[in-house]
Amino acid sequence: MSAERPIAETRDVIIIGGGHNGLVAAFYLAKAGFKPLLLERRAQVGGAAITEEFHPGFRCSTLAHNTGPLRADIVRDMQLEQHGLKLTTPEVSTASLLPDGRALVLYSDAKKAAQEIAQWSQKDAAAYADFGTALGKIGKVISEALALTPPNIDSPSSGDLWGMLKTGRSIRNLGKKDLYRVLRWGPMAAADLVAEFFDTEPLRATVAARGIFGTFLGPWSAGSALVLMLRAAADRSANPNPAGIVQFPAGGVGAITLAMAAAAKQAGTEIRTGADIAEIRVKDGVATGVVLTSGEEISARAVVSNADPKRTLLRLVDPSHLSPDFIQKIKNYRCMGTVAKINLALSALPEFTALKSKGNGNLLQGRIQISPEIDYLERAFDESKYGNFSRQPYIEITFPSLSDTSLAPAGQHVMSIYMQYAPYKLKDSDWESQRKALGETVVKTIAQYAPNLPQTILRHQIITPKDLEETYGLTGGHIFHGELALDQFFTMRPLLDWARYQTPIERLYLCGSGTHPGTGLTGGSGANAAREIVKALKK
Amino acid sequence: MPAVSSSTKYDVIVIGGGHNGLTNAAYLANAGKKVLVLERRHVLGGAACTEEVFPGFKFSVCSYVVSLLRPEIIRDLDLPRHGLEILPLDGTFTPMPNGDHLWRVNDHGKTRREIARHSRVDAEAYDEFGKAMQAMCRFVKPILSMIPPDPATLNPKELMKLLFIGRRFQGMSSEDKYNQVQLMTMSAIDFLDQWFETDVLKATMSASGIIGTFLGVRSPGTAYVLLHHYMGEIDGAFRAWGFARGGTGAISNAIADAAREAGAEIRTEAPIARIMVTNGRATGVVLSNGDELYADVVSSSVDPRLTFTKMIEPGNLPGEFMDGVKRYKFRGSSGKVNMALDGLPNFKCMPGVGAHLRGAMSISPSVEYMEKAYDDAKYGHWSSHPYIDMVIPTLTDTSLAPPGKHILSCFVQYAPYKLAPGLDWDTEKEKFGDNVVNTIAEYAPNIKNIILHRQVVTPLDLEREWGLTEGNIFQGELSLEQLFFLRPVAGWAQFRSPIKNLYMCGSATHPGGGIMGAPGRLAALEILKDGAA
Repeated sequence: MSAERPIAETRDVIIIGGGHNGLVAAFYLAKAGFKPLLLERRAQVGGAAITEEFHPGFRCSTLAHNTGPLRADIVRDMQLEQHGLKLTTPEVSTASLLPDGRALVLYSDAKKAAQEIAQWSQKDAAAYADFGTALGKIGKVISEALALTPPNIDSPSSGDLWGMLKTGRSIRNLGKKDLYRVLRWGPMAAADLVAEFFDTEPLRATVAARGIFGTFLGPWSAGSALVLMLRAAADRSANPNPAGIVQFPAGGVGAITLAMAAAAKQAGTEIRTGADIAEIRVKDGVATGVVLTSGEEISARAVVSNADPKRTLLRLVDPSHLSPDFIQKIKNYRCMGTVAKINLALSALPEFTALKSKGNGNLLQGRIQISPEIDYLERAFDESKYGNFSRQPYIEITFPSLSDTSLAPAGQHVMSIYMQYAPYKLKDSDWESQRKALGETVVKTIAQYAPNLPQTILRHQIITPKDLEETYGLTGGHIFHGELALDQFFTMRPLLDWARYQTPIERLYLCGSGTHPGTGLTGGSGANAAREIVKALKK
Repeated sequence: MPAVSSSTKYDVIVIGGGHNGLTNAAYLANAGKKVLVLERRHVLGGAACTEEVFPGFKFSVCSYVVSLLRPEIIRDLDLPRHGLEILPLDGTFTPMPNGDHLWRVNDHGKTRREIARHSRVDAEAYDEFGKAMQAMCRFVKPILSMIPPDPATLNPKELMKLLFIGRRFQGMSSEDKYNQVQLMTMSAIDFLDQWFETDVLKATMSASGIIGTFLGVRSPGTAYVLLHHYMGEIDGAFRAWGFARGGTGAISNAIADAAREAGAEIRTEAPIARIMVTNGRATGVVLSNGDELYADVVSSSVDPRLTFTKMIEPGNLPGEFMDGVKRYKFRGSSGKVNMALDGLPNFKCMPGVGAHLRGAMSISPSVEYMEKAYDDAKYGHWSSHPYIDMVIPTLTDTSLAPPGKHILSCFVQYAPYKLAPGLDWDTEKEKFGDNVVNTIAEYAPNIKNIILHRQVVTPLDLEREWGLTEGNIFQGELSLEQLFFLRPVAGWAQFRSPIKNLYMCGSATHPGGGIMGAPGRLAALEILKDGAA
């Protein structure tokens, strides 16, 4: 889009970054009567939730490749269905592959899942239902907290207290047993949590994997149970599924953000792509607008950043506007990514040894995991602690072209692969020189389960943590805009006392995943932030 | 020992003569109760004992340094009068493979200069860090002397307690709040990374974060354990880490002496078969020799697994409580190697006899070294390159060994209780010991030539001989989900149990392990409050 200089006019609100949270925030601000101008650096909006063509005729969810349910109120308010969002829930949520040629298949329908698990262990089948129910009850309460603006620690406002009281009441309504569970589970290791319910190792590992996805934690790391609970909270489903609910949008994950963009536009947001921010202008401690790399200056009453906290406050703002102490703390905000993404264009569906017997195609519609046992995952983690990427990685695969055949030429497919662990910082090496090795490791690992995969590959797209940072603007390549951990959660996200979407700079706000709740593709951060920003600006 | 008549009736029978059991007994006896302490072993003190393992050599077999012993207990029981004397343990010496070293001592200026040798920035940060930790301890200490509230009740008294903590938290500067929250949630290394850049400094400091736990220095939650051990290092000289004259057993003996003076009766070699329960109420104990002893209250200082699964007949406890007991994590991760020496170790990086031998010597050369030691343990192997914390008490207390001879006491981590399939501790025991000697020899080669005797204590030994389930020295992991109102079982953190008049008073209750005595004291106060005895 054009970057010719219009006569300098003062905009209402500028939103930096057109990721899903930026779009959600833009929508709610527009709804509240503001005229947001959303500036996206890349040629298309969507941030980490995009669909791109990476090989002629092959389109893939470049990064995020499936969604748990989006926040219901957001889908409703933004009328995403009317704006073209079509979500399908595959019959199989997760197929977990084992080296011995077996597979543990978890169906989206909890009852069906239990039947399948019963073939491994009657006890676990029952426990799976119990665990699901417990996660559902606890998740419901947590999701209330996720929708809250974290209270002000020093002087909680009456609103804060009311919100906490409401949550507090529903927490009490959990009853002793589940209340203690919340308190006990939060700091636990996912490996311990699943062991309290299941005996079957593959089931333990497959469920525990939810607690490590995207984080710098292993299944034995304390706090991985919290991540598991947070992701369960996002499900908010009638029949909760410990392995998680998987949904695919027609058109790939990018379809979600396209629908959001349409909704935001309709509500009155102006969206400009190819608009790269050089600097956030600050005068006397107040944000006054932005300067684009093109040199164009746009002034505004408020600036809202969908970029991560480090990028926003350490790179876009001149440090002289922040106290050294605050800068130190933001520097200490943990934001080291651990995942890489590999997208493959395939001439045909690979044959998974473990799934053939059960009818290959159907079982490939959900998520396919390589997480055969807890120790496998932990060993994968170990390597990353010392700055190497896992040689036997934890892998999560989807075939977007199965839920939407338009994404690849007839009979051909796209394969979307999350690989963990790929630490942002490599010990005595760099990602450019390791890119090829990374791709080979992933293909080799999967080939152990689908021997014919290599022959079907037409094209690799290998996205290293460094690419995540440089191409998609994720500092440290962290897909959650910062580690999801007890010390960076709720009132501590991104920093204790700065969890309310404001920053030390007046009229500069954060609305990305680096703010509460910041759990993946839910839109929660954007919606919460918009609520606070409207309050602040209407004062 | 007095002949036992089954008619004898006590107000309180305390199970286990460890420092917590004895503290519990002393407080109850001081309150005029008729108290009987029953210890299974021939010596008192549990894991806080001194034993002449080899002729002339008195080892602090398990616990070997003291720091956390609550001041109010020292005061209330007048322990110095009963023979408690704490000798200072000055500093921590960390030899490095590259021939350098890090030597921190109590002398502030010296330590600063030493750290500055490695990094000027860290020397500055070290002061700040000390101050910050002090503030954190000020916040946590009152909690150590507090009965954990029950967040699940609506009882206003309980909510007041929560409010009290909330208010104390409110009272802190936002800087302190920030640190406190991080300490409660972060890993020792993530926390230290924010302060320091020197790897060896972070490694050796992070060691306090893993002692006795089955966690690595990078595991979230270890920052709290760091604080737990820092507590002692903070206030003045006396409370700094030190030795008890006569070995760690002297602490238990002083407490036992105070208890006896107050009228408590203490029996050793009196193992308990079971706790008698009638109509949901504890009425006494049965010794393994068949003797029945009756009491209004039974107070158990052994861990919940022993108390509730071994000593109580099934069916007396609600299933949910038993689930909690079964879930409670022990996972011993450490061992001890005690040596009788014919001389003193000679460190390559600091040859000769010097003050560095009088403090703690820590084999913790790098963060990666520490974390890799943990990786071995995760998969069921003792660390090929373990973290070792060594002291030579005989340089401070000559009464422990013959003239010219010395004792080297080594705390070793990791030594996982559960070994990989095909391995067992009885066959690994001496290999484990050899590896410790070899590891030390990398830094002080002469060690091999001066060993007269060697005693290896594995987690399995700790379980068999000292009744520490799975060899956990704290009677259960000090992990966040097992602290405060969750220790040992959610809803049962107030020293009571589902069985009326059966109380818990050991390290498995709040505030947990270390020679602190707090659980024993707090439990006694609750027993008296209930007027149960």
